[in-house]
Amino acid sequence: MALWNKKLYPLVAILAGLFIIVFGLVMARELLACSVFLAAVFVWLLLFGCWKSCLHALPMFIIVAGIFFGIFYGATGTVNSGWAMANRFGAVFLAIVPGMSTTPVRMTRSLSQVHTPRSVTLGMLIAMSFVPMLKGEIKRVREAMKTRGAGSVLNPKILYRAFLVPLVMRLVNISDTLALSVETRGFALGKVRYTIYKREKIALSDVVFVLGLIAGAVLVIVL
Amino acid sequence: MNEEEKKTTEEQDAAQALIANTEEIAESASEQENVVASAPAKEAEDENKIFRKYKIKDIVFLAIMAACMLVTGAIMPLVGQIPVFGIIQVCLGLQFSIFPVIGMMKVRKPGALLFMSLCCGVVLVFMNTVMFVCILICAVIAEGLVLLIFRGYKKDSACLFAGTIYFPVTLPFLYIYYRFLYSWTGEEGQAVNAFIGSSAGMAVGMSIAVLAICFVGALIGVIISRELKKSGVLKK
Repeated sequence: MALWNKKLYPLVAILAGLFIIVFGLVMARELLACSVFLAAVFVWLLLFGCWKSCLHALPMFIIVAGIFFGIFYGATGTVNSGWAMANRFGAVFLAIVPGMSTTPVRMTRSLSQVHTPRSVTLGMLIAMSFVPMLKGEIKRVREAMKTRGAGSVLNPKILYRAFLVPLVMRLVNISDTLALSVETRGFALGKVRYTIYKREKIALSDVVFVLGLIAGAVLVIVL
Repeated sequence: MNEEEKKTTEEQDAAQALIANTEEIAESASEQENVVASAPAKEAEDENKIFRKYKIKDIVFLAIMAACMLVTGAIMPLVGQIPVFGIIQVCLGLQFSIFPVIGMMKVRKPGALLFMSLCCGVVLVFMNTVMFVCILICAVIAEGLVLLIFRGYKKDSACLFAGTIYFPVTLPFLYIYYRFLYSWTGEEGQAVNAFIGSSAGMAVGMSIAVLAICFVGALIGVIISRELKKSGVLKK
């Protein structure tokens, strides 16, 4: 076991995300206790190599939680409803952080290490890493629409004919090329033996991270 | 043995080896021909089966459709926290029926919907764990109903049906979640339920709206797939 790893072990990151969201949502109505717990988790994540994702999530959380706090406060006239809502959003945004800090490749490696079926790991890898590419494709189709002077996407007819059909067509073509590329790189779905080039190892830092999370949750419940 | 005899024997051995090699090649070629000839027959036989093996191209296409669901469903963590009955389904119904239907129209194999839900769920689990669990359960229910009623995804109506019921089936599960978990501590320390939509009228109205949106989405998915199939882009 390595002593200190800068990044969280991917499976630990998944479980930590699950724990944060479930515990946060269940405890959301214990207003102060939940807020303290979430603040402690934020600091904990900052310390364990997720500072970039934490800083990305923080402004988003402030905006969204602020808006919903305002709406609920306005609707019910009590601070508590808005506070509970902010706690829930805090739990959601913090739960996303460990997942955001883990690259799809590391996630696939660690899932392969625990003998997850190849079809599942391949599907997850593609689904996770295809998102930025898809954004690029959407942008390209919209640029093509502009060039052709197709009009607004808000018009259902234009949306269907000039946006949806070309986008799906492009996705089908990409999927065919990607499938060929995957096959030529030796991916197989049957019971074929495979090796993992770089193994993911659990480090002492992961154990400390998990113990810290559990200790925080226990403290919130007890106190 | 003189040198001439030796040379003749060597030539004979070489000729024998050459003949044996040619025979081997001819045999393997005829075997390959048999395999090639029987392949379409086997494929046709496989087509008639309900449960068929997945190929890499199927997995890739379904994963891409799952990524589309993910990108268009990125607002789920935001709308998921609004305690209004059926708000997630109303906001995401269209995209969560268009893309799964396109996936099922291309990969007409049982488990396609479940696989898309699983791939989508990898990221969704961090955004909205409850919805992730609901989606997986509902994918199993939708697949089971399609297998019971249509015996597979061969007909377009089976894909339309699966796409229509897939998302609305999550409504009862989310109702339970909102009803019992969505509350805050009031001024006097009592639990106040934040759930809006517990009245029967609103619940029925939202359910009908969700069903209608998902039906429209599924229909658009079928129309797009048919159009692409006609133009030869969407092959089996």
